[in-house]
Amino acid sequence: MKEPTHRRCVFFNSSLGEKMVDTEVKNRKVNRSKGKNEKNKEIPNPAVDPRDEGDGESTPEALPEELAEETVAKKASPSKSEKKKRSGGKAGAATAGTALSDLPTLAVTCHFNLLPMLLFGVALATRFYALDQPNSIVFDELHYGRYAGLYQKQTFFFDSHPPLGKQLLALAGYLGGFQGDFKFDKIGSSYNASVPVFAMRSVPALTGSLLIPLVYMIMLQLNYSQWTAALAGFLFLFDNALLTQSHYMLMEPILLFFAMSGVLCVLKFRALERSGNAQAHSYSLRWWGWLLSGAIFLTCALCVKYVGVYSYLLGLALVGHDFWEKVLGNLSLSKKQVFGHACARFFAFFMVPLMVYVGVFYIHLSTLVNAGPHDSAMSSAFQASLEGGLSSIVRGQPLEVVHGSQVTLRHAHGSPCWLHSHAANYPVKYADKRGSSHQQQVTCYVAKDINNWWIIKRPNRTDLAVAAPLDRISHGEEVQLVHGITGRNLNSHNVAAPASPTKQEVSCYVDHNVSMPAQDVWRVEITNREEIGDVWHALESMVRLIHVNTSVALAFSGRLLPEWGHNQHEIVGDVMVNQPNTIFNVEEHRYTRNEDEKDRQLELMTTDFIPLEPVVMGFWEKFFELQIRMLFISNENVQNHMYTSSPWEWLVLTRGIAYWVSPESNAQIHLLGNIFVWYSATVALGVYCSLLIFYLLRQRRQCYDIHEEAWNQFRTTGEVLLVGYVFHFLPYFFVDHTLFLHHYLPALAFKLLLNAALVEHLYYLTRLVFAKQFFNWMCILIVLTWMSGILMVFNKFLPLSYGLGPMNASQILDLKLRETWDFIVHKP
Amino acid sequence: MIATVATRFYKLDQPDHVCWDEAHFGKYANFYINRTFFFDVHPPLGKMLIGLFGYLDGYNGSFHFDKPGDKFEDHQYMGMRIGCAVMGALLVPLSFLTVWEMTFSLPASTLSGLLILLDHGMLTLNRFILLDPPMLFFISASVYTMVKFHNQRHRPFSLPWWLWLSSIGVMLSCSVAVKFVGIFVVIFVGFRTIADLWEILGDISRPVTYTVKHFMARALCLIVIPTLLYMGIFYVHLAVLNNSGPGDGFYSSAFQVGLKGNYLHDGSTPREVAYGAILTLKNSVTSGAYLHSHDHLYPEEIGGGQQQITTYAHKDENNQWHIKRHNKMPPSWNSTKPVDFVRHGDLLRLEHFVTGRNLHAHRVLAPITIKQFQVTGYGLDGVGDTNDIWRVEIEDGEQNQVLETMVHRFRLIHYNLGCALTCTKKKLPTWGFEQDEVTCNPNKRDPNAIWNIEENIFPRLPNVSFRSYEKNFFQRFIESHVVLINGNSALKPKEGEATSKPWMWPINLRGQFFSGGKLQVYLLGNPIIWWGNLVFMVFYIILWVSVGVREKRGVVMTPREIMLQNRALSACGWLWLGWLLHYLPFWGMTRVLYFHHYFPALLFSSMMTGILLDYAMESIPLSLPQKMFNSTYISILSGALVILFYSFYLFSPLVYGLVRYADSNSTMHHLHWLSTWEF
Repeated sequence: MKEPTHRRCVFFNSSLGEKMVDTEVKNRKVNRSKGKNEKNKEIPNPAVDPRDEGDGESTPEALPEELAEETVAKKASPSKSEKKKRSGGKAGAATAGTALSDLPTLAVTCHFNLLPMLLFGVALATRFYALDQPNSIVFDELHYGRYAGLYQKQTFFFDSHPPLGKQLLALAGYLGGFQGDFKFDKIGSSYNASVPVFAMRSVPALTGSLLIPLVYMIMLQLNYSQWTAALAGFLFLFDNALLTQSHYMLMEPILLFFAMSGVLCVLKFRALERSGNAQAHSYSLRWWGWLLSGAIFLTCALCVKYVGVYSYLLGLALVGHDFWEKVLGNLSLSKKQVFGHACARFFAFFMVPLMVYVGVFYIHLSTLVNAGPHDSAMSSAFQASLEGGLSSIVRGQPLEVVHGSQVTLRHAHGSPCWLHSHAANYPVKYADKRGSSHQQQVTCYVAKDINNWWIIKRPNRTDLAVAAPLDRISHGEEVQLVHGITGRNLNSHNVAAPASPTKQEVSCYVDHNVSMPAQDVWRVEITNREEIGDVWHALESMVRLIHVNTSVALAFSGRLLPEWGHNQHEIVGDVMVNQPNTIFNVEEHRYTRNEDEKDRQLELMTTDFIPLEPVVMGFWEKFFELQIRMLFISNENVQNHMYTSSPWEWLVLTRGIAYWVSPESNAQIHLLGNIFVWYSATVALGVYCSLLIFYLLRQRRQCYDIHEEAWNQFRTTGEVLLVGYVFHFLPYFFVDHTLFLHHYLPALAFKLLLNAALVEHLYYLTRLVFAKQFFNWMCILIVLTWMSGILMVFNKFLPLSYGLGPMNASQILDLKLRETWDFIVHKP
Repeated sequence: MIATVATRFYKLDQPDHVCWDEAHFGKYANFYINRTFFFDVHPPLGKMLIGLFGYLDGYNGSFHFDKPGDKFEDHQYMGMRIGCAVMGALLVPLSFLTVWEMTFSLPASTLSGLLILLDHGMLTLNRFILLDPPMLFFISASVYTMVKFHNQRHRPFSLPWWLWLSSIGVMLSCSVAVKFVGIFVVIFVGFRTIADLWEILGDISRPVTYTVKHFMARALCLIVIPTLLYMGIFYVHLAVLNNSGPGDGFYSSAFQVGLKGNYLHDGSTPREVAYGAILTLKNSVTSGAYLHSHDHLYPEEIGGGQQQITTYAHKDENNQWHIKRHNKMPPSWNSTKPVDFVRHGDLLRLEHFVTGRNLHAHRVLAPITIKQFQVTGYGLDGVGDTNDIWRVEIEDGEQNQVLETMVHRFRLIHYNLGCALTCTKKKLPTWGFEQDEVTCNPNKRDPNAIWNIEENIFPRLPNVSFRSYEKNFFQRFIESHVVLINGNSALKPKEGEATSKPWMWPINLRGQFFSGGKLQVYLLGNPIIWWGNLVFMVFYIILWVSVGVREKRGVVMTPREIMLQNRALSACGWLWLGWLLHYLPFWGMTRVLYFHHYFPALLFSSMMTGILLDYAMESIPLSLPQKMFNSTYISILSGALVILFYSFYLFSPLVYGLVRYADSNSTMHHLHWLSTWEF
């Protein structure tokens, strides 16, 4: 596509002067001649050699070297690889040019592994150092630790994130002998001996350490030199935020580990696709291996936290893009072959993830069989399927609702509460001067209570005891609801509701002799009668109660009543019949046996069930219900949290998060990135984008400033890392959640990789522009200075990452480099 | 076009009462006519136009527009309705012309025009006094000028080229100045401009300076002119509204000074704050209130025993505070000692002037926001303890800077606890007289923790008229925007309120009542058109993918096929982008959303449907034998037209007001295609 022209391009560095420009033009020519199919046969270009794909030695370095020999300076600059040999002497012979070649010799493997091994070793050391300190709950360990404990007890809990990460924690806890007996009450309380802190924290610590060799390999896969790859590992290694996050029972390291492994596998797969003989590799074992493992890892990331979906999308986009370009655009493939490739990819990226995802939830649901603290977030039927809890109450209760049934009616969707009344009337006048009917209050109460019981009767009958034959209630039939304790009927009339004046009041009818007749007949509408049938069933039937006189529906309004209503939820008659808030279901249910009112009230206390079959709920039903609740029911938001931050602030590290503070001294753990790393990564992002725009504009004018290989490398970097960054960062501008700094970490990972890639590109540019060796040395010197700066900052903030103490107030204030960092100073 | 006028103006005077949001926008028109200041979350142009229409018609702003359903009686409301209807009617020719410029295909343009014309939603929305008719007009005008300009590309820098280019700029700034939604069309035009420039840049036969010239021209017409115009509109807005009105409280004290009739307009105080002065402190956020205390204690159960501190929106002598150094009493007002000014970083006490209690905070949970500390009034006649000491921190203040009335915004940091005096904006229960809670917030960066001084009584210093604090236009311009944007994002749905969700809109799931009563008007799209739009959007994606695949696979196509495809795809690609830009952002919005927010997107999707329908009509017959060509073409066309007109006829009572029948077997009952339609 880049047919070189004879236009003379002004080189971008205007300060170079004419001489330099000439040099460049000569370079250009060389490149051009190479473009015209290898006229300079003298020096074989390693980059063009297909054998060398995935070579650890990056191509752009080799190129200027040969150019230099041929065209420009007599005092040719020593190649970078030579220098590497010198500077990298300590690391052994790791610098051999053919690091990742196909040669299956043991020696090569050893060479290759030394550098990442070293990094990995340091990573392990930093991540595992003082792992069981502090021996108390740090930040979200409160939640994740508790969930891990609930797994041990096989107790159901509800969390809006998928379960894989928590399962891994629980597994580690199980292996460490955790019984789940510890009560995770608040941040900062000490663990006792029953909690295997080290074992549980080793999951994020291990995954967090594995991240470093992973990014090393990703960089190699993107055709960068191993020094750049090591630099990327270095950035990950010495970022305080990643260290802190990997040190405690938190999800991000696990998420990042899966995401990065997935990206690596996809890149390996891409390399196969893009290699010279892609045809031969197709459907080979390696081909399938990389494709499937990529898809599985990415799905695992998704199963740790839903934000993993962005990594998955990145993988999907890369594979899809390659399919479009390499398979669809390859006219030598027949239609059938193309179709086959499409199917293989579809299978790997849709079917396999689905299976993994469902599998993770299968483990989740089949492990957690006991009732627990979050039951009420789920439907009655779901709860009834758990051991203990509701199931112990509802097991054996009659299924069909009949005339004389005693029931509790649960608000079926959204916040759980039960239809309730009590012996108190609506106030005659409300605070805003509106009048009420002064009849008995009807509310929705969030706790189980004796006053939640109602008796269902037919309007025309007066007896209440259930007798054979059973008088079943079906869809469309009219009923009255009698409040069990007060014996009054559920009633509605054309009076404005207490808290929602546009809706109709619902009360228990009291005859005040004010010519306000009872309007207490309701029509039963079963909304899911396709599945359940027309007869009203306890638990299963979703019921709407329509007021016969005014055709409003009994509804939960979402508002709270003031003090006179004991701050319970308001119940209204709503004209909008078709909405989730009008749906109720019968939760507890029994048949009335006594006719006498006193006895009935007594009976409400007793439990005497007619045995019937217990509720069984299949996996799929439970799975879909859980999915819907997790994805669509908005969960509680932490409002006014002190350490929230906005996406813009993440770029410049405006705020951290206090994770833990020692009760004895000012020693504390504060999530805070290595500010030097974060700032340089942000700058690198800007520089990369500007360079990209610059190159694109120049190429539009048919000016090619860098070699094609360098450009390809630069572009691939953008495809993977920049796109990855944008995928993981941009969505946060559109979400409504409370955001914290640790939400930025996945995006940060891509940004750090981009930073390392840019360093190599800049080095390449320096070599391209300046022929003198001096500048190369300058470059390396700058990078080394920068790295030692990073080390210093890392070291300075280490106490905050590990929570090392004791610290006094001035030491803490000494670390407060930015006014907006809110460290806790509670001791002198 | 006649049909447009006919449909738009038929029975325009019915219903003769205020419908839905007319209650707002009619009211705003009143404010313009009466020149009183008000606050609304939208920029002013649309309301100014409505006001202008009313003014031209002789409406005198006397009708109150209190609530939907009020009868107009003998007020001149028709001018405003006609004005809006005209703007709405222009949508049809504009979209016709837009599609014409994009495809030069008569059937496509006609169909697109018809789709806009025969949609009940558009029709209803454009008949009332709302912001949407001007907004839709300006958006479609922007798009039209954009394509028109694009077609001038072969004679750059000619007079029409300049004219069209600058008219894009004008239309863009007008769109934004009606509603902020207009920003999406700006982005749309921005993309188009970048694409154009990219084309020009790729033309190697011309020097780079040529591209730069193009770029400069566009920057001038699409950035500089619109910005100036937009600011001009705000200038007019602020210049017209120079009387105090209901919107005052939303703005800062310094802003209110400029409004005639506001109590701050004629007042005067000393400029600097000195110890011994009597002050009122105002929470320096949107509609902030005064720091207040009164002779009542916090109730026993929430850590009571000390006097309540609240904020209170009205002027009251209980808002007055006496400022003292933390360690000594200030000299009396008639002493001759040098005046002791309050400076940045000073430690001070604030004594409630009426009750003599000091502003105090301690480690007790605040009444409502239990994560923060309680603030009380403590002590006797100004003698308290060390928990009464506050440090004043002027925003961006320097050491020794003297605190000034009105100009400076500052925080009060509690000396012992290190927390900031904050108004949480939560109402206290009856024991606190439903005034707002005041707490001491450990998060010192809370925007609610900023205060300013409004009144400053200190006879020893010369009084300066408030007018000297008056902001200049740019400060007022920026402040109006801050307030607008805050107001917009503060429009949160109330709990339990049934809100419209973006996913409901394209499928026409639920409409919007415009007027109840005897004559019902219900905003609902023509289901045929709306669902058709969805079908054609999917069709577009399929077409796009299949063309891409065929290109990749090197399938040979006839020139006519290629021509048809290119024409449809390039035009629809842009329209599809426009639709996305006007629809997707609503998914991320947290403010309360309404059905009518979808209509700008509908404009784009309707135009796209017109083009694609035309494409289908042209290309389906191609695959058939020659002799069936014409008959197929005509039958598809006439079929489409018949369906469109019949569906319009069927649902038209929704627009022109249907008489409500209580029972379910009314004539309208069979129109309940979806159970969620509530008419």
